[in-house]
Amino acid sequence: MKKISLEVYHFAGSLRIIATFLLRVEDPIKVFLPIKAIVDTGSPITLISSTDLQRMRISKLQLQNIPVKNNPVNIGGGQIFTKEIEKTKIKFGNDIEVEMPINFPVKGEGSQPSLLGIDFMLKTKSKLIFNPSKKEAYFEIED
Amino acid sequence: MTNQELTLLKNFEQDSEWFHNNNKEIIKRGFVNKFVAVKDKKIISSGKNLDELIKILEEKGENPSYIFIEFVYPEGFTLIL
Repeated sequence: MKKISLEVYHFAGSLRIIATFLLRVEDPIKVFLPIKAIVDTGSPITLISSTDLQRMRISKLQLQNIPVKNNPVNIGGGQIFTKEIEKTKIKFGNDIEVEMPINFPVKGEGSQPSLLGIDFMLKTKSKLIFNPSKKEAYFEIED
Repeated sequence: MTNQELTLLKNFEQDSEWFHNNNKEIIKRGFVNKFVAVKDKKIISSGKNLDELIKILEEKGENPSYIFIEFVYPEGFTLIL
């Protein structure tokens, strides 16, 4: 059994489960940076925020040119469009590395933070253990 | 994970932890509705928008990709995802 430790903080009006990982993309863009994402079991997709996109110094226009279709994503009452980049690697501190599609925003003014969605849990077949009163959370992944 | 990757991740996590544990103090210090950049558990720059902050960081010789950057929401603000 493998375990990914998560942090639990009060952020933007609520207690949130936070995952921190290294994100690496080699193609069609080159990206390598640490990301803080809210674990959101209500989100079917993993989504990079506009803020993190700007940290990568990649413009939405650059992403628009990637020959992948735009996906509409409804979030927080608004709609944004994303490009799904297939071979994105996310790596956690305990050396767990996962390759999965991740959505990058290309159009629309979403102010949402980066989200680690339920797609990650399906890909890794993990369980989320969350104890809000003790501010403890972690993913449990069966070998 | 290489030592360099581990250090990068650890420093980023520490700065994230510092930001969240000191959020009330950061609000008191007048950073509400601004983006702040945190390095080594200190706010090294802030800006009303991200473009401005990233420009300042680059002028300081910092790589924004490796810096913890967060928006400071006002107290009582709730973000529904």
